[in-house]
This record gives sequence, C-alpha cells and structure tokens, in this order.
Amino acid sequence: MAAQPMKSRWPGLLLLAVIAVALVALPWTVNNYWLRVATGALMWAGLACSWNMLGGYAGYINFGHSAFFGLGAYVTAFLMNDPFGLPFLVTIPAGMVVTAVFAVVIGAPTLRLRGAYFAIATWAFAEVLIQFASAMDFTGGIGGIGLPPFLNERFFYFAMFGAAALTYLVAWALFEHSRFGLKVKALRDHEPAAEAMGINTALVKLQTFVLSAVTASVFGAIFAYWVTFINPKSVFGGDITDQMVVMVLLGGLGTLWGPAIGGVALFVVNRLIWMHWGDTAFYIAVLGAAIVLVVLFLPNGIAGLFVRRKANALEKAAGKLVGGGGER
Amino acid sequence: MSASAQASAEPILLVRGLYKHFGGIKATNGVDLAVGRQEIAGLIGPNGCGKSTLFSLVSGTVAPDKGEIRFDGRAIAGMSAHRIARLGLARTFQIPALFDNMSVTENLLAAAAEGHWPGAWERAAETLSLLKLEHVADNRASDLSGGQQKLLEFGRAVMRQATLILLDEVTAGVHPNIRKIILEAIASLRERGVSFLVIEHDMEMVRSVCDRIIVMDSGRVVTSGAFEDIVRNSEVMQTYLGRPQ
Ligand SMILES: Nc1ncnc2c1ncn2[C@@H]1O[C@H](COP(=O)(O)OP(=O)(O)OP(=O)(O)O)[C@@H](O)[C@H]1O
Ligand SMILES: [Mg+2]
Repeated sequence: MAAQPMKSRWPGLLLLAVIAVALVALPWTVNNYWLRVATGALMWAGLACSWNMLGGYAGYINFGHSAFFGLGAYVTAFLMNDPFGLPFLVTIPAGMVVTAVFAVVIGAPTLRLRGAYFAIATWAFAEVLIQFASAMDFTGGIGGIGLPPFLNERFFYFAMFGAAALTYLVAWALFEHSRFGLKVKALRDHEPAAEAMGINTALVKLQTFVLSAVTASVFGAIFAYWVTFINPKSVFGGDITDQMVVMVLLGGLGTLWGPAIGGVALFVVNRLIWMHWGDTAFYIAVLGAAIVLVVLFLPNGIAGLFVRRKANALEKAAGKLVGGGGER
Repeated sequence: MSASAQASAEPILLVRGLYKHFGGIKATNGVDLAVGRQEIAGLIGPNGCGKSTLFSLVSGTVAPDKGEIRFDGRAIAGMSAHRIARLGLARTFQIPALFDNMSVTENLLAAAAEGHWPGAWERAAETLSLLKLEHVADNRASDLSGGQQKLLEFGRAVMRQATLILLDEVTAGVHPNIRKIILEAIASLRERGVSFLVIEHDMEMVRSVCDRIIVMDSGRVVTSGAFEDIVRNSEVMQTYLGRPQ
C-alpha cells in the first residue's frame, strides 16, 4: 500500500466526520420532501464518482454511462417481479454481474482505440438499450415496468448513503492510495510511457471501466426500487449521462471530492428550480452555463480551487478524445 | 533473470535485419547490432538516421515491419511494450514522456507499480536524492524545468530495476553538474550488472562513459568499435560530424 507521507490531515478528517454525523442525523431533522432531495443528492454524488473513475482518473470519456445505471435498474425490476419475486438485496449483485458482462463486451474492443471511438461506442450502446427496452415485452416496453412498492424514505436514504459512502471509499482506496491508481493515472497522462513501465494499459482501462459501470448499476438498482416505476427514458436517457458529466466537470475532473461537490450542488439547484418554476427547462441552461464556466475559468473544477498542486485532467481527456489514445 | 549458461553467453540485446518504414521514410532499413552484458554501448549518428525509432522497435512502443530482436535470449520482436518492460528492459523517451498531472514522486512510484513494488517508496526517495530532485518531489511533473524533466525521465528508468536500459539523449540540456550525477549513476548501475544502450550527440559524454560506439546512418549500422578507432576513421567522422547536428 502506498502510504502518503503524513501531512496535516486532521482538518480534513474532522470535516469528513462532521459531514458523516450530519448525514446520519439528517432523516430525523428534515421533512420527507428534503429527505428525498438528500437521497437524490447522494445518488448523484455517487453516480458522478462512478463516471469520474474512468473519465477523470483514466481520461476516457464515457457518453453512455446511463446504460449501466439503467441495466442495474432493469435487472432489479425484472427480478423483483413475478415469476422471480427475488428480494431486493439479491437483485443488486445480479445487476452488477450483468453490467460487468456488458462493460467487458463494450470496453474490450473500444478501449484500445482512440478515446473518440470509445465515446461513440458507449453513447450508441445507451441508445440501443433505450430502443431495446422500448421494444421488448419483458421490460414492459415503452410504458415501463413497476416494482413492489416499499414506502420507507429512511430506508432509501440510508441505502443511497451506504452506496455513496462505499463508492467514495473504493475510489479513495483504489485511485488515490494504491498501485492500481498510479497505473490508471499514468496511462491517462501518457499511454506509451505507461506501457514502457510494464503497465498493461488495455487491461487497466478495462478494469477501471468495469468498476465504473458496476458502481453505476448499484445506484440504478436502488433508484428503481425507490421510485417504484421505471421506463427506458427514465433510466437509460442521455440526459442522465449529461448530468453526470457536467457534475464531474464542475466539481473537478479526476479529483476525489469534485464529483460529490458538483453532484450535490447541481442536484440541489435542479430541485430549487423545480420548486420555484415547477419545471426544469431552466436547469438545462444552468448545465450549459456550468460547462462554459469550467472551460473558461475552472479547468480543475471547484475542487481545483482548494488544492495547491493543480491537475489538468481535462486537457488529457480532451487529448484522448481527439488525438492520442491506445494506438502506438 | 533467466541466466542459463547458454543465455549468459549470448549478448543481452541482439538485433538482426530490423526494418521499419513510415510511408516512404525508411526509418530503420536493416539494422544489425548487439549489446553485451554489462556493456555501455553508445549509439551515434546524424539527425533522423533512425536511432530513436530503433529504441521504439526494441522496446515494443512501435512494431517492426520485419527483423529479429532478441533480449536476454528471448525473441521479442512485435511483443507488446508492457511485456518487454516486464522482461527487464527499460527506456527513456527523447521528448520527455512524463505523467504530467502526477507529482515527481508519483512518477517514480508509477514506474515501479508493475513489478518491483516492495521498497518502492525507499527507492523513490533514494532516486530523488540521487538526482537532486527532493525539493520538487511534490511538484507536478509538467511544472519541472526542461532539465529536471530529463532527470525524472532517467529516474523512472532507474526505478524499473531493469537489466538493459535504453537512454535517448538523456543528458541533452542538463546542467553539467547534474550530467555528472547521471554518468556516475550509469557507471554504478553497470557495476550491479545493468547494460546500457545510450543515444548521445555529446561526443565528450560518449568518450567518457561508453565502452563501445555504434554508428548509424540512414537507417543502418555502418560501423562499431572503440571510441578512438571510430574517431581515427575519418569516413565515419564525416558521416557523423560532417553534417549539421
Ligand atoms: N511515427 C513516425 N511517423 C513517421 N515518420 C517517423 C516516425 N518516427 C520517426 N519518423 C521518421 O523516421 C526518421 C528517423 O527518425 P528518428 O527519430 O528515429 O531519428 P533519430 O536518429 O532519433 O534523430 P535525432 O537525432 O534527431 O533524434 C525520421 O525521418 C523521422 O521523421
Ligand atoms: Mg532521436
């Protein structure tokens, strides 16, 4: 394990403890509406982190990440209904396995190519799943599919909280404090050099992609059970991926806490806009403004304002999209 | 390493009839050469004669069109770069190919991430102090000066604990004091059994560190021998020094 030289990390740990205590106490301090907002915020923070695993740490932009969120949601819906009637907790690992298989099938051929090919392949995959889920009977077609209702807001809050906490713990351990993270960041910054250091870049990219996809599927599973009804657009829709991307860019690409900051901030703005205007058309403009803000003024996102050593993962990811990549 | 009696009789690196053409450019056009065990071989030749391309072919960064490459007794032509690296071959890039967004220390650790991980932190600390990079250990690699980037490029190759290291103009643009440190490091690694193939334009450096010189021109090896013999051979010097460098 890569133990970092001990700097003063107590202020950070203290802040983390305060946030954790506040999050645990939250269900007893706010009403149901705000509890649902908090549940959603945790989900988006977790989803943004899952997208950032590949997009931020490895520099490969995934424009179809909603596919994996949706796969988790549909597997849970499918298995909880007749004739299976499986318990919710059993459906989560099932969704993870299905998602992993699809991620390998999509990622193995495309992650060797330039980032642009991977971006197009993932985007197309999500679109195909929308069409597929709309056309099939066992998915409920375009009308969607219901799940056995379980109306316990605190349960879903803690489920999302647990999943998000686990996601960030995995990201922290794997990408910030292990050899694996060094390999991932090395290939993001220079693939031929990483190869020359003995790193099997194709394998490391695929492992990262599968982890990222499987994580998203867990949030999809909880989401489906929480909202008790899903349809192709509501879980595979491109707008889901769009939001994750903007959340990560705003918070800080390739940073641990950036996705949490961006995810919570944008989702809360979304809900406030909805409360005041009853629709979220204006939210699209907010997303656009956030992108402009990042590109012009905050290449390292909000998280970049707080660190001394600036990273510019954005440049690397953009480079992979248009230029360098797996080819040599 | 797999030092069977037969393998140890063989040179650490053997290249036969190696070709790589980029479109109409014959970057290497039938290269033959060998590097002995614990040898420091210098590779010289005019700009564009195919030296760096040869490194890319040997290290697997670029696949050859045709030809044989044997490293430590194994045929490696066309093998993927990470597999060749894991066999114990390290290289540097002429244009520093650092992990820009990672710190100097992380760059060194990443070089050890696949392979010799135990003790990597200690070795990274030693390498930092050897190359006088301690004061920038936490800086982002892309914030280093050109000379410091060259040093880090060298440091990463050292971290690999390789048996053969290919150095592509690693002292170009480096301060003379630091250059001395690199030369000493090369000599001491050789004492520990490491072999080197070194591309260098600085003839003084070639003279002081290399056991033998290999001269390339237009994608081929034209001659090789001791520095003094090469210098005495006026035709070779014309090939090498007669053109603008
Ligand atoms: N990837 C590539 N695509 C096309 N041409 C290339 C490529 N790599 C090298 N070349 C060409 O191959 C020839 C040999 O280049 P190489 O870099 O090997 O020369 P060199 O001996 O290292 O020169 P220098 O001393 O200037 O570093 C040059 O004409 C170069 O332009
Ligand atoms: Mg060169």
